[in-house]
Amino acid sequence: MFHWLEKNPFFFAVGVFVVIAYAGLIEILPNFAEAARPVKGLKPYTVLQLAGKEVYKKDNCIACHSQLIRPFKSETDRYGQYSLSGEYAYDRPFLWGSKRTGPDLHRIGNYRTADWHANHMWNPKSVVPDSIMPAYKHQYTNAADLETAYAEAVTVKKVFGTPYGDDIAPGKAAYEKELKTKILPEALKIAKATKREDLVKAVESGKVPEVVALIAYLNRLK
Amino acid sequence: MNAMIVKALVMAGVLIVATFVVIKQMHIDLSDPINMITFIGAIAIAVLTFGVSAKYMQQMKSDSATGELAEDNWDGIGEYKNELPSGWAWSYVGTLIWAIWYFLMGYPLNAYSQIGEWNKETKTYNTKFEKKWKDATKEDLVNMGESIFLVQCAPCHGNSGDGLDGKAHDLTHRISKAQVLHVIKNGSHYFKYPMGAMPAGLAQGKDAEDVAAYVAGGLKGKAPTAWATCAGCHGQDGKGNNGQAPNLAQIDDTLIAQVLTHGKQGSIGRMPSFANRFTEVQDKALAEYIKTLSSAK
Repeated sequence: MFHWLEKNPFFFAVGVFVVIAYAGLIEILPNFAEAARPVKGLKPYTVLQLAGKEVYKKDNCIACHSQLIRPFKSETDRYGQYSLSGEYAYDRPFLWGSKRTGPDLHRIGNYRTADWHANHMWNPKSVVPDSIMPAYKHQYTNAADLETAYAEAVTVKKVFGTPYGDDIAPGKAAYEKELKTKILPEALKIAKATKREDLVKAVESGKVPEVVALIAYLNRLK
Repeated sequence: MNAMIVKALVMAGVLIVATFVVIKQMHIDLSDPINMITFIGAIAIAVLTFGVSAKYMQQMKSDSATGELAEDNWDGIGEYKNELPSGWAWSYVGTLIWAIWYFLMGYPLNAYSQIGEWNKETKTYNTKFEKKWKDATKEDLVNMGESIFLVQCAPCHGNSGDGLDGKAHDLTHRISKAQVLHVIKNGSHYFKYPMGAMPAGLAQGKDAEDVAAYVAGGLKGKAPTAWATCAGCHGQDGKGNNGQAPNLAQIDDTLIAQVLTHGKQGSIGRMPSFANRFTEVQDKALAEYIKTLSSAK
């Protein structure tokens, strides 16, 4: 009955190619659409936020938390506005995740504050009594890797044209300047908002604890 | 029926009986459709596994080669003309037809949009919701408010609304002494009441302490002399002049609405704004519930 399909190998090969290529095309084409450009007003991650993103990856938050609110009423009711593809324009890589043991975090910056996160990462049960999330106390003593985060910013600026200002430039001197004028003040503001003396002291001494960077990153998710 | 098929069916039967015994042992309720479907699936797997393997074993034992030979012949080794497996061929042709439909009518060209579907879903739901709860009783509102509170507010304010030991505002009281002192010292314009911003430092030293104690104590007893300054805006009874300034006596609808809309910042920290998160009915429900928290005391 289907002998006609394979009688002409060339036709058959082209047919198979078209079917498979079509599936690819449908997934790839939308990425070139206007909707995939950065949404209006989207700013690239600051260096501190990038360092926080690294902590998020390192401590594997993605294993239990997603960062993608699907356009279903049940999700927008709980997590807020549905996600747009243009919001991930500066995510390299994006951290959508596919597992929700915990809640989605894509709008967490809208609904939680620095001190809440500081309480939560130290002992999740202190703010969410039924929480099964483990504590992440090491984040309060480990220092965030700011140099790598800075290098990442320089790299994405050079390779992908991420719109950072002239401040982000290669070299130790540029890093030191960024650290002094941008990263540490931003970290200090967050540390003060957490109301934890140890965090404030650490930042003042020039070492940014991982949790401060992580909070900077989480507050940026909105 | 030959022996091989009989053996396979017996094996499948044993497996099915074993499954059933386990179901009984674990007291699994088969009237639940999900459990029933799972059980039927298990039977199907047992029958198919043994049935199919019996069929092929039978075939290996008894089959002899039949069919039309292809013309090509390699050193005496021929090849049968086999049709494409019909299942594969049908899915292939089906995919081609579907792809054409999808390209022309579906997502890429015809602009089907998930967002459009979301808009429709939300609109339908909200219309239904508003209609259903148009004349909600106070009890309905309190129950609804509690559900919203537990999801959206409890992470910071705690399940009982007590503010989790100072991590957020204790909703079972109007305001604490420390909070009043903070506002007197720093002023406040976070609620955006019609009266405008409250300037910092309207009372000093002992006056401030007295007023703070008086307000935190629920405006009971004799008002301190410095209260006159506060009464100018908040009213002699502290109730905020009908929504012109924050009500200091109790948590009221206006206060909850203003905080939800604008968020706030005070001695404890920042509360984010929840503007446009809830429908009108939900806002009302939340207010009713939060009011029950403080009146219980």
